[in-house]
Amino acid sequence: MHLDLDSTNLELLPGLAVLLPASRTLVVADVHLGKSAAFRARGLAVPEGDTRRDLERLRVLAGSTASRRLVLAGDLFHSPAGLTPEIEDAIAAWLDGLGDLGIPVTLVLGNHDRKLRHLPGGLATADALDCDGIAVVHDPADAEPGTPTLAGHLHPVARIADGRRTSLRLPCFHLRDQLLTLPAFGSFTGGRIVEPRLGDRLFVAPGDRVLEVPADLWR
Amino acid sequence: MRTPRALLPFFKSRGWRAFPFQRECWQAYLDGRSGLLHAPTGLGKTLAVWLGPLAEEISRRPSPGPARQPLTVLWITPLRALASDTLRALREPLAELAPHLEAEARTGDTPSALRQRLRRRLPFALVTTPESLSLMLTHGDFRERTANLKCVVVDEWHELLGTKRGVQTELCLARLRRWHPGLRIWGLSATLGNLAEARDTLIPTPTTPTSTSPSAGPEPVIISADLRKPVRIDTLIPREIDRFPWSGHIGTSLAPQVVRRLEAAASTLLFTNTRSQTEIWFQELLALRPDWKDELAMHHGSLDRKEREQVEQGLREGRLRCVVCTSSLDLGVDFSPVDQVIQVGSPKGIARLLQRAGRSGHQPGRTSRVLGVPANALELVEFAAARHAAARHEIEARRPLLRPLDLLVQHLVTCAIGEPFEAAAMRREIQSTFAFRDLGDEEWNWALGFISNGGRALASYPRYRKARLVDGRYLVDDRRLVQQHRMSIGTISSDSQVSVRFANGRTLGSVEEGFISRIRPGGQLVFAGRRLELVRVRDRVATVRPATRRAKGQIAIWGGSKMPLTSELAHALSDLLDPAAGAAHADSGELRAVAPILAIQACWSRIPSDRELLVEFTRSRDGEHLFLFPFAGRLVHEGLGALMAFRISRDSGESIVSTRNDYGFSLTARRGLRIDTAALREALSTDRLLDDLVACLNTAELSRRHFREIARVAGLILQAPPGRQRRSQREIQSSASLLFEVLQRYDPENLLLRQSEREILENQLQVTRLRECLLRLEGQDIVPVETARLSPMAFPLWAERLSSTMPGGTAASRLEAMLAELEAAAR
Repeated sequence: MHLDLDSTNLELLPGLAVLLPASRTLVVADVHLGKSAAFRARGLAVPEGDTRRDLERLRVLAGSTASRRLVLAGDLFHSPAGLTPEIEDAIAAWLDGLGDLGIPVTLVLGNHDRKLRHLPGGLATADALDCDGIAVVHDPADAEPGTPTLAGHLHPVARIADGRRTSLRLPCFHLRDQLLTLPAFGSFTGGRIVEPRLGDRLFVAPGDRVLEVPADLWR
Repeated sequence: MRTPRALLPFFKSRGWRAFPFQRECWQAYLDGRSGLLHAPTGLGKTLAVWLGPLAEEISRRPSPGPARQPLTVLWITPLRALASDTLRALREPLAELAPHLEAEARTGDTPSALRQRLRRRLPFALVTTPESLSLMLTHGDFRERTANLKCVVVDEWHELLGTKRGVQTELCLARLRRWHPGLRIWGLSATLGNLAEARDTLIPTPTTPTSTSPSAGPEPVIISADLRKPVRIDTLIPREIDRFPWSGHIGTSLAPQVVRRLEAAASTLLFTNTRSQTEIWFQELLALRPDWKDELAMHHGSLDRKEREQVEQGLREGRLRCVVCTSSLDLGVDFSPVDQVIQVGSPKGIARLLQRAGRSGHQPGRTSRVLGVPANALELVEFAAARHAAARHEIEARRPLLRPLDLLVQHLVTCAIGEPFEAAAMRREIQSTFAFRDLGDEEWNWALGFISNGGRALASYPRYRKARLVDGRYLVDDRRLVQQHRMSIGTISSDSQVSVRFANGRTLGSVEEGFISRIRPGGQLVFAGRRLELVRVRDRVATVRPATRRAKGQIAIWGGSKMPLTSELAHALSDLLDPAAGAAHADSGELRAVAPILAIQACWSRIPSDRELLVEFTRSRDGEHLFLFPFAGRLVHEGLGALMAFRISRDSGESIVSTRNDYGFSLTARRGLRIDTAALREALSTDRLLDDLVACLNTAELSRRHFREIARVAGLILQAPPGRQRRSQREIQSSASLLFEVLQRYDPENLLLRQSEREILENQLQVTRLRECLLRLEGQDIVPVETARLSPMAFPLWAERLSSTMPGGTAASRLEAMLAELEAAAR
């Protein structure tokens, strides 16, 4: 689904990512690699699998959209305990793979990333970025009012009531004025239900396309 | 047997005589036996089991100085709210007979100073809950502190039986029994249909004596208080029966008549079936008699403990005219008898109604009375049916729960924290319980794996560790893990709760997050008997103030499914409606009252019965309808309805909607339904039952929702006290549904997933009852009737069609459907 932020055209992808067509920059937020490893380190029996799967999803998405750059809007990592040697190896191999395809990766540091004493080598980092006139930050609170901005951090989820005392919860893109908050990309991430205001727009991707949620269904 | 000499002063000073069943209990106890005592509430059950150990202690040769490990009696109570009452009851004879002995209570409510003191020294008798006992097992010195333990009493065992907390009790007892082989275990239970099974679950006797389990001693006894306590069940019969609905709810229109009954008695307990009903009736009674402001109180499980204690104190002191309450007052030691008990709405079960009736006429020899206030005509008949069943002693059974693996892994970690265990010995201990006696190798190995390396799929759990294997023993010694586990023990609680407070900090109680999120600041709600205005919600605290302006406030509602009618009561009801038996019951006021409606049913169709299957067919504006009346309770009907709808629509392609109540279910379709006995038989067959149920009921979605409790018990979700969550804790927070997805994707063989599905099939869909019902129907005649309009029995099922929900399908298809509906509505 296409969307204009200020006057820059964006594409919202059903894989919970945003593509900036002008520079073919792919933006995702909140991957939280190594989350299940952090759980296991604390004695909670959660199986591994999410890390490799999420890296693979990102690689395929970058390839299928013919992206020329990948920007991660913060919280690529979950916690220091989650960055095990195995996961570090997997990330190194993944970065190499993207490098071979000519896709540089930049991480806009998020609050979780900052807790890590060291980050895997070969990963460019920044506090904020400017892509095609659109700012990319992690925390929406850091967005400059009036500047078109992409952010993450909140893991927005839309609650859609069906009027029968049940409701659907779906990760969503949340647009308020010039600020587009991206859903969390990681497959082992939770979410927080957004409380939209009048004039906000919500987009969900329940299947293989992105749909706008009509305001009547927000309740 | 005579009353032991040591106990005589207590009885003499009161001018009491011990009952024969009490003497029987003391004798059995002194003979070294365990047992189950079954007696209605209020007959001196407490004394019957408490005075045995006490007599033994008093007549023991006194040792000089205070005992090093005095703990002798452990008293397990299902509700921590009961602990203080129990303690009072235990202390009374203690003060008189053995003032040097102490009794204390240790529950989740115990202040930390006392808890600390109890950590250092346990008293002669300790009152506790299954959760707190489990917690005590994590202390390395607990075995030594129980060195003199002689007796464990499990109070209100019928409440624990069949629940996970009951299994938790079984597991804790197995530990204590292994430490102290001569331990005597006594259960107290209200009337149950399966007393022997209840006893065997609590006090299992080894079927094959092994070298490691010494002979269990004499067989455990069942002692019944043979004092028939007469129970009288009356009903409030509405004046104008023709304006009384056949089904559904009439709210509080009988309230004026109830008020007159309240005027006539000094004290009344008015039971309702839900917390919301409690709030509604409290408001209604207050509106009718504002002058009763100080004599009217309410009591339900979501009210703050202080509020509840004030009400209980008021009852004890006789200050209150009426307390509107839920099952939160079902239990209780022999406290504060009231003059009368009123039950609003369906009694739901025979045992339950008798238990509630037992709250009145508490003294031995007095009659217990309960007044039923029906919400519709069929409930009127339900009360009559309960009366007949009670007279014939047809009481419901409570089936024990088997092999909940989430509890097993929780308990294994508990034990490994307390003292390192060796696998084979622990397995024998676990299998000495009723719940796990058939534990298989696969389950046992999986559970051991789950607490040490994540389970069978080793590759899926790199670097996971909870228990360590050191010198052939499992132990948990990481302090953070120990603390984490202690915090999560026994939190078998429901949805996330929001605490309701005034700005000055006074807490009223808690409501569900889902309810409060629908109210905006400035909006009103009715909770804890008050009209409140919501100020704000923050960090799971809802700040409120008394509402000043009069507006329609939302009555607080709580989720949870409606309780179904028990099969026993449903059967009794069917018997009563049976015209063949009608003559025998013509004297019943309830049946006389509903006779006009039954006559219409008989004239337009036929009176349904559980001896045959009545099937009505009708056409209406909505399309075509089938109504079936198997009398199997709403949960079974829900499954049956979904099953038939699925099977018929699979063949016809028409979409079919199903509704249900306690008596039957309906199927509605635009077209294509008809009475064809052969087709009906096919749709009701037990062939491929499980497959079809799993396919049609979206079991995946249901088990995902059910998984929360399992994940919590098994220690996959951490419970943190609200507002005190540490940063490091937040890093390992996850929702149950997310965990469910992750497990399904990366460890689909995980037995917790299977348990979730099994529990959904058994508890929610009642597969066993459903299959029994289908088998019964197979042997019965199908009686087809085509009616010109909706019969009285069919009407409520038709009216319920609007509220039926069973979310199904993928998120995408559901959203598409919603969008389509929305567009259609906008057009």
